[in-house]
Formats: sequence, structure tokens, C-alpha cells
Amino acid sequence: MSALMDAITAAFGARILETGDFRGDLTISVAPEAWLEVLTFCRDNEATKFDMLDCLLGDHLPERAAAPFALVAQLVSHTYGHRLRVKTALTEGQAVPSVTSLWPSANFDEREAWEMYGIGFTGHPNLIRLLTTEDFEGFPMRKDFPLEGTVGGRVRTDLRGKI
Amino acid sequence: MGMRETILGDGFYRYDPEGGRPRGAADRPHLMVRDGLLQPALEERTASGICLPGESLDDDEMGGPVQFPGGIAMPVQIERVLGFGRSFSFWPLLFGLACCAIEMMALGGSRFDMSRFGMEAMRASPRQADGMIVAGWCSIKMAPRVVRLYEQIPDPKWVLAMGSCAISGNVWDTYNIVQGIDSLIPVDVYVPGCPPRPEALWQGLEMLRERVKQSRHAYDGLRRIPARDVLAAQTAAAEACAPAAGEVKA
Repeated sequence: MSALMDAITAAFGARILETGDFRGDLTISVAPEAWLEVLTFCRDNEATKFDMLDCLLGDHLPERAAAPFALVAQLVSHTYGHRLRVKTALTEGQAVPSVTSLWPSANFDEREAWEMYGIGFTGHPNLIRLLTTEDFEGFPMRKDFPLEGTVGGRVRTDLRGKI
Repeated sequence: MGMRETILGDGFYRYDPEGGRPRGAADRPHLMVRDGLLQPALEERTASGICLPGESLDDDEMGGPVQFPGGIAMPVQIERVLGFGRSFSFWPLLFGLACCAIEMMALGGSRFDMSRFGMEAMRASPRQADGMIVAGWCSIKMAPRVVRLYEQIPDPKWVLAMGSCAISGNVWDTYNIVQGIDSLIPVDVYVPGCPPRPEALWQGLEMLRERVKQSRHAYDGLRRIPARDVLAAQTAAAEACAPAAGEVKA
């Protein structure tokens, strides 16, 4: 395992639930409670120095009944040129701390993860809908969201004051 | 109220001299309030208002003289001269929504070169444009902006719906796509394809030029854009409800 993984496992030990290495793509899984702490470590530690959040996205895995939602952060370090994927598993309605304080670019990513999957972020400065209209109801990227039809208020937008 | 009064009271639009059904896009599908929600009236679509190449209209079919507010009539011949001039300097709005816009750019490029027809000047401001090419799918969030751009184009104006998505929403019968832009604004010419090749758009623009020459518009007989009608109906319904609620409280 690389020096990067050594540094992370040395710091967190058993709190890293799972590690993976697929052709050099490093992945770690953490509990939602350790989400902010691990990402803060990844950004600030001398051995990791992840200065960029490449993307942060949600996922819905209904076959995983205990924790059907996932949150994935892709980190990039321009100092070392290495990358890391940090995952966490969430239950319905569970919120994690926002990482906008670490990387401001997480702002839109977290808004999108919230509007599409209903994953909550505590401490987010502006957690409102990003891609759908304000009065939209539901989380359209969930697997149980209907693929077709007038769900979520398809054309229910009130155009007054906008045209 | 008869058709003539309605139109004369509302400005510079063609009217039906027979006093019957307005011609053009009057019966096109539009948003309607159903179950208390603003929804597209898909089942009410008809195939009217489409101009075919070579189609010509005599004076009667042209609807007689154009009436200005105040009863001043403009002869059809003058309107035809104006239409002839307009058809050779049709400036579309520089406006693309999705992948169809790439084909639209190809038409503007040197290979297909729509500047041959006086259309190369795609204006970045709707106030300088003669019409718009709705190129690509339109999301619900984008819809108010599209309607706003359409409203900002001065009359006379023409709209071309380019591609399956702008026409019908294509496969995206989903939560976030407008199911046909003609549910929001009157459309003159439909160009199917996914996306249409530049030649297809070229033919569509030729059909549009025929309509420009004939001074036919999708809003003939409409006088209002459909979205405005829906909003007016909503406002009226809200005002009708408001006193009733007050009485209950009193």
C-alpha cells in the first residue's frame, strides 16, 4: 500500500471501514460520523495534501437496505499528483457535515446531491435546489422516482414574474 | 365578442374576415390548467399552421388588409413588399439550448453558409432579432427564459422548433423537460430530427422564409402567447377565490 494509504490508516486505524485499490485507484470507506474529520485530515496532512475536491456526488443503492445512500468524494492533490476516493454509506434522511468550509467548490456539488438524492448537509450555506425549479417535490435521481410522467410538478412552475 | 373587435382592440395582427375560427396557431397546443396545475394540453394538438414549400395564398387567404389600431388599413400589396424585404434579411436570435445548436452552428459555418440567404447575422439581443430557432430540449427551469426571450423579440417574429426535443420532448417524457416548446410559444415551422442535419434546418428556414414572404405568423389569431393566457386564467381564478376565503373568515 502506498504512503498515502499508510498515512491515512495510521491516523484513523479501524475507523477506516474499508480500503480498496483497483489498478491504482485508491478508495476508502468511512462512517458518516468521521466524514468531516477524515476529509479535513486529507486536506491538511503533509502526506496527503488534497488541495482539490474533484467532485462530490451522491448515489442510491436500494438493494443495500441498511444504508441505501452513498456519498462519494473524489480528491486530487496537485502537490503529489495522487487521487483518493472517500465513500460513506447513509440511511434515509441522514445528514453529514458540509465540507464547503474545506473546499468551497463543494457548494454546488452538495446542493445537487441534496436535490437529487435527498442527502442532507448540515452547515451548508445555501442548501437550495440547483437544477430543478424551486417548487419541485421529490428527489428525481432516486431509483424509486418514476421515469415518466408528471411527477414532482413537471410543469407546475408558476411563471408569474419570470417572463 | 367577435373576432374582428378582439383583434382590432389588441393591435397589429391578422384577423379572419369570415369572423370564424382564427387561422394559424390559434388551436395549437398550449399549457392549460388541469387539476389545479399548469400542464401541457398534449391531447389537444393539431397539425395546423404549417406552411409547405410552394404554397401560395391569394388575397382572400391572406386575410384582407392588415388593420392597425384606429382602423387604418394597410393594403396587402404593401405587406407583401415588406415581407419580400424581410425574407432576405431574416436575423435569428443567437440562442441554442442543446446539441441541435451544434448543427445550427454548422449551418452558419462556411460549408452550408446561411449567409447566402441573409441569415448570417444571428443577433445576440432579442430586440434586434426577427425570430428564434429553438434548438434543443428545453428544461422546465429554462422555460421562463425562453418565453421571455420570445416576448422580447419585436413583432413581426417567427419561431422555428428544431429537433425532436423542441417539438415533442423526444424520449424525455420526464420530470424536467418541456414536452414540446409549442406548449409555451407559437411555433411556425417544425424541423424533425435528432438532431436534424444542417440541410434539414436549411429547408426549415426556407419554409420559414415562405411564411415571412406571405406575412404569416404562428401567432396569427393568437394575439397572446399561450403562457400568458394560462397566467391570466390563474390570476383570475386566484382573485375569484380570494373574496370567498375572506367571507369564511368574517
